[in-house]
Amino acid sequence: MNPLLAQFLAEANDLLASVDDGLLQLERNPGDPELVNEVFRAAHTFKGSSGLFDFPELTRLTHAAEDLLDAVRGGRLALDSGMADDLLAAFDLIRGWLAHVTAHERLPATAGQDAGGLITKLRAPLGGGGESPAADQETPLSVRPIDPPPEWLAHLGTDWLIETANWLATTSSTMRFVRYLPDQDCFFRAEDPLHLVRQVPGLDRLAVVQPETWPPAEEYDEYVCLLSFVVATRAAVGELDYLFRYVPDQITVVELDAAAIHRHLEGEDEEEFAVAAPAPRPDALHVDPELAADARAVLTAAHRTLAVGEPAGTQLVALTASVTAAALALGVPLDLTGADPAAVNAAIEGVLGRAPVEPAAEPPGVDHPVVAALAAPPAPVPTATGAAAEPAGRADDPGGQVGTRVLKVDQEKVDRLMELVGELNVAKNGLTFLAAAAEEEFGSRALSRRIKDQYAGLHRIAEELQAAVMDVRMLPLSVAFGRFPRLVRDLSRRLGKTIELVTEGEDTMADKDVIEALGDPLVHLVRNSLDHGIETSDERVAAGKPPAARLTLAAVADGDAVLVEVSDDGRGVDPERVKRKAYEKGLISEEELESLSDSDAVDLVFRPGFSTADQISDLSGRGVGMDAVRASVEKLGGSVTMRSELGTGTVTRLRLPLSMAVTQVMVVSVAGQRFGVPVDLVVETVRVPAAEMGRVLHQDVVVMRGEVVPVIDLARALEMPWSPDPARDLAVLVVSVNGQRIGLLVEQFHREVDVILKPMEGLLAYAAEFSGTALLGDGLVLLVLNLKEVLGLAARVA
Amino acid sequence: MTRVLVVDDAATVRLYHTSLLREAGFEVAEAANGLEAVEAAMTTPFDLFVVDVNMPKMNGYACVETLRSETVGTAAPVLMISTEDRPGDADRAYQAGANLYLVKPVAAERLVRVATMLTTGKDPAA
Repeated sequence: MNPLLAQFLAEANDLLASVDDGLLQLERNPGDPELVNEVFRAAHTFKGSSGLFDFPELTRLTHAAEDLLDAVRGGRLALDSGMADDLLAAFDLIRGWLAHVTAHERLPATAGQDAGGLITKLRAPLGGGGESPAADQETPLSVRPIDPPPEWLAHLGTDWLIETANWLATTSSTMRFVRYLPDQDCFFRAEDPLHLVRQVPGLDRLAVVQPETWPPAEEYDEYVCLLSFVVATRAAVGELDYLFRYVPDQITVVELDAAAIHRHLEGEDEEEFAVAAPAPRPDALHVDPELAADARAVLTAAHRTLAVGEPAGTQLVALTASVTAAALALGVPLDLTGADPAAVNAAIEGVLGRAPVEPAAEPPGVDHPVVAALAAPPAPVPTATGAAAEPAGRADDPGGQVGTRVLKVDQEKVDRLMELVGELNVAKNGLTFLAAAAEEEFGSRALSRRIKDQYAGLHRIAEELQAAVMDVRMLPLSVAFGRFPRLVRDLSRRLGKTIELVTEGEDTMADKDVIEALGDPLVHLVRNSLDHGIETSDERVAAGKPPAARLTLAAVADGDAVLVEVSDDGRGVDPERVKRKAYEKGLISEEELESLSDSDAVDLVFRPGFSTADQISDLSGRGVGMDAVRASVEKLGGSVTMRSELGTGTVTRLRLPLSMAVTQVMVVSVAGQRFGVPVDLVVETVRVPAAEMGRVLHQDVVVMRGEVVPVIDLARALEMPWSPDPARDLAVLVVSVNGQRIGLLVEQFHREVDVILKPMEGLLAYAAEFSGTALLGDGLVLLVLNLKEVLGLAARVA
Repeated sequence: MTRVLVVDDAATVRLYHTSLLREAGFEVAEAANGLEAVEAAMTTPFDLFVVDVNMPKMNGYACVETLRSETVGTAAPVLMISTEDRPGDADRAYQAGANLYLVKPVAAERLVRVATMLTTGKDPAA
């Protein structure tokens, strides 16, 4: 992809996000001028950049949005929800287009159609015939005075004109008419007049005008364009300017009302259709005419500056220098050293008088397209990571970039880096075995020590490298929270509830995989809250609560974990109702129905197949229940808990590891085999004399600090042949699973290690008792236990 | 080498202007807003400034005024390039001290042509 387009797409993402974000905030604080400005600026910058590419629909749609925002900014309009809807829809559409552009480097074929309706909607609040004052002001081509109406209207046909005039009179509206006289040699500039005319938006009538006389057949040159066009359209002048932006000097646009057309019809007699090629540009001084035009523009600019003020000091020096440069370009060398403003002005007038004069200041904004530049991509800027990278440079290098140096990198590359760091760690650990071998097998203690020294150095570097790569992967929680303002807004509007979304701790960082995986569970919890948890305003008022509900998304770092809470002040979960539902669905027994505590009852919502909603709504009834939320969070090595108080609200808390890349495991062995247990589940390691092992209801137990802890024989659960040595104390690893303490009888404890956990693949993926594998330094593959499943196995074996 | 500072908050536009000028042999540095531009100009002399109008922190007019003020005091030509083309925008630019005001998007050849002209006497690659 062209680097410029890649840059645009990367930048567009950020700009669109800030537009969205700003709009949502703006809806809540409609008067905030700072916010309006921010949104406007983002839209404006986006439009500016989009103009570099041949995406007319994109620019037009953004333009319409920008005009609306400009009116809000200028206080001419107050932003309401309807307008916000339209603006959001417009930028959603644009986002969709950009996805298409990313894949195909062009807009989807339906872009024009899709944009049309939205543009009308966006323009509607601005009033007028689908065209805004701002659009007029930005019009590079002037709309000619309508009196007298141009005679070329006649090409559209008298009947049609009468009909149209009548219609315009009835609706007291106006219509735009374009005459397009393509240059005879336009084909050589890759212009396609017919194609251009066919693109006129809102085309009402098209007349193709033939020359009065065709040249004789033998002189006929098919490369000369002899046709011209007259067009009637409902498009805004701005849109026409945009469409014809490359051929502004071949275009005449007028806006006419019924009266003007009538005037034309009355004076129809004096028709005259001269298809004149534009007069050749004066070129008296044999200077490149375009350079001459630019030089004159600089001189005119200086003239204008001098007309309004008396520049002094640096400004005068700068102005004099530019005048000298421009004059030189026109072939008039000047020496204005130390000249005063009056002398400079006189010199300018002299040069402008001598040099051929352009009719007027040339119309702005009509520069040749960038298409050429796109076709031949600009010289590659030094990039470190290919297409999406910013031009890089050293900060102290004057030729480098001054701004913040940010490198946008493909996620896959960081993932790959992480993998390599993992492999490096494993390879590094091999050195300790080599050191041992050096000493034991080859009897060289000195070599062993040197290897160990080398290991220590390598270890430090590997650790730092790992921390650095992990840091790159860290993202703030705001990335996960970012989608909710929009979601809450849209859903609350649909549900007719008033909801205030509060986010806290957005700066908390977590690994990108965690952030990504958090998305779906969070969406489900928020939807649940909006759909079931939060009451309507009327219900809330009746319950003595403020009419607007509050939904809070909060994140806080907790050691090597991150806690994310979704809380609302809604109606809360009714434990009685939950128990009854669970009983009806056969999830709990009658006994449990009576004995379950309220907090345990709330936990029932996590049971598979449970739903309190009597009817599945289109919002939450997407086949995902709270059980799925719990399952997906646990898959990440996290946990979910819910607290709820009837009438006061619900808090769901997710606890997730900060990083999924490196897992700390405790290594234990049974039957000579080593296994890993995630350290966060480990409570303690104890050695218990065999005599202290008791038995309650076929279950081994130990009493620890007055608490009875069931003990499971890990070897038996895994069906491995092993029995504890009766002469030694029993090694018990106490773990906490689902809030319950359980002892695992093992053969031996080993140390804790940091491992890169890889999920089980292929056939092994079905071995649910293992959550993954890790490679140890000595090359051993360590199986890491999924304790929940292991406990289930143990129960079945027993 | 003729040194140009491209000042624009839109990274795409910056890249566009920068790569065109680099290709033409200019040495180009970038700044993302007026404030950065002023900071850059105070540490490094530039032969030309290409300045956008609408920017956060410090807009183009204020930027050019500061460049021309005693604080910075650069007499290097300033080319302002903006999407704003309402009447008066250009005059405001000229009053601030700009030497030429163009409306975005500026064609590739024109940018290079004007930049070369304004820095006459300095061969960009020399």
